[in-house]
Amino acid sequence: MQHRARLQHPAAWWLWGLGLATAASRTTNPVLLLLVIGVCVVVVTERRDPATANPLPAFLVIGAVIVAFRVAMTALLGNGIAGQTVLVTLPRVPLPEWAASVRMGGPVTLESLLYAVYDALRLAAILACLGAANALASPRRLLRYLPATLYDVGTAVVVGLTFAPQLLTDARQVRAARTLRGRDGRGVREMARLTVPVLETAFERSLGLAASMESRGYGRVVRSTAATRRTATGLALAGLVGVLAGLYGLLDASAGGVLGLPVLVLGVLLAASSLVVGASRDRRSGHRRDGWAWTESMTVVAGAAPGAVLVVASVLGWDGVVPSQQAQLPEVPLLAVVAVLVAAAPAWFTPRPREMAS
Amino acid sequence: MTGRRVIPLRWPAVVAVTVVGLVGLVAFTWPFFVTGDFARDHGNDAPWLFAVLLGLLAVVCLAEVTAGRLDAKTIAVLGVAAAAGGALRLLSAGTAGLEPMFFVVIVAGCVLGPGVGFVSGALAVTTGALLTGGVGPWLPFQMICAGGIGLGAGLLPARAGGRVERWVLAAYALVTGLAYGLLMNLWFWPFLGANAPTGMGFVPGAPLLDNLGHYGLFYLTTSLGWDLPRGLLNALLVLSAGPALLRVFRRAARRAAFGAPVVFAPPETPASLQDTRGRP
Repeated sequence: MQHRARLQHPAAWWLWGLGLATAASRTTNPVLLLLVIGVCVVVVTERRDPATANPLPAFLVIGAVIVAFRVAMTALLGNGIAGQTVLVTLPRVPLPEWAASVRMGGPVTLESLLYAVYDALRLAAILACLGAANALASPRRLLRYLPATLYDVGTAVVVGLTFAPQLLTDARQVRAARTLRGRDGRGVREMARLTVPVLETAFERSLGLAASMESRGYGRVVRSTAATRRTATGLALAGLVGVLAGLYGLLDASAGGVLGLPVLVLGVLLAASSLVVGASRDRRSGHRRDGWAWTESMTVVAGAAPGAVLVVASVLGWDGVVPSQQAQLPEVPLLAVVAVLVAAAPAWFTPRPREMAS
Repeated sequence: MTGRRVIPLRWPAVVAVTVVGLVGLVAFTWPFFVTGDFARDHGNDAPWLFAVLLGLLAVVCLAEVTAGRLDAKTIAVLGVAAAAGGALRLLSAGTAGLEPMFFVVIVAGCVLGPGVGFVSGALAVTTGALLTGGVGPWLPFQMICAGGIGLGAGLLPARAGGRVERWVLAAYALVTGLAYGLLMNLWFWPFLGANAPTGMGFVPGAPLLDNLGHYGLFYLTTSLGWDLPRGLLNALLVLSAGPALLRVFRRAARRAAFGAPVVFAPPETPASLQDTRGRP
């Protein structure tokens, strides 16, 4: 199956990543979690967006650090799991009375360590899914799909995204100039000295941009009248109050949780509709529109499959979804493994991203 | 002071920000006051639910604060604040949480008012996340927190240009640096469950004071080591660069001439021109 080389729709990759993250959040089975991380690595290696730096390794490193940190903390401070298999006994540090509930040192059991590793591995797998989504479709491509109400805010973010690397270049130049004059350019005070020339330049450039935007009739593509804005404000406020009331109903047991959820959902719907109602955009042609073909739909399905299977599995309580902390290989539910492997399929059937022209 | 309110906060925006702040507070502190059954049943999904909810509410709140009130110059200034936040995030990526970003947000809020403070705080975090590829469920929580920091900086009762201003801002930077960590840990703390160190974990259904005590210990042992240096760094930056940066922002605000009334008047034609027009 050969497709024309193109980037997939960013929403498809993000939905895929969220589905896989849902799956990971539902299990602590190390085999499944390692599989999820493996799937992320495979898909990212095959189909990552070549225009940006790959953020997945950073996410994987953070995940590894979390696992190591949790294990070290558990060995030192213990956790809520009392196990029988004592691996090693650390010398116990006496603590003052106000910290009596804390213990430092003491026996390190295998069960508590395994629990820490499983739980940290789950977080690492969720992080890997998010890193994969960030690598497969740069989130700034999602900015295009902001509703018209947020057009201004979106523009400010785009201006910020464009100027941030330039700010760094400016900072480097100013620092080089200061080094030539015999300053070493380190420390808080030097960093403070940098800010004035760098920000002055940034404002200079940015106000120039604003002037050119105004002279070209910026903002004329968004249609919004006082009436629609008032409607949007009313919807937003009603929605926000609904959300607050719904949360109160859900969290406070005396209010009865029955009414909470419907009110919350209603509030969310109202608030979301205020974004749509507030303004509308003129129809215009776009440069390099992202298309939505069958590969996009299949990608979403491939991500949703493990999510759905593991949600069902955790609700029905299949063996091995939440394994016990014994020193034995946990049982692995076969259907869950197959579902996670399905998520790797987009590495083959989706179109290849175009190579960078360099 | 006329230059301080670039985005005027009208009452709907004030109500929206207040309600979102309340929901944000609930999103952070729910482990302390829910019943044990609820926490046991939903402890695992609640952080995700709140992440989605806060994401939507933060966006609605941004729309409400900015609706129809951003001209090209305001966008330019917000863009600079967002760019500075993003650039500082890029720079500090190697230093594990030592984010000097807040100091730009604080100065922007102080000079340009609470409205700009809120928007620039939220946008600085977003830009940083988009640049480093760090978009995740923590982003809405960070947006609300950073927006709140900028908003608060705009409401500080410091007289512009005074000597006190610098110290007030530095103290504010230190306090918010610590408070940010205190709140941000809360969104994943109930997640840890039995996995937290002994005596520092979230116990569903335990009395409020017990859980507060556990959280206090957790904060002291794991998070203070990061938060204190961050607060101190921001305070030091405000002390040493604050006055100069305040001047830069004030100058930009004056040059952009926010709030200058636009008046259209019929063109005045001098009498001499009118005389010459009639001639062939």
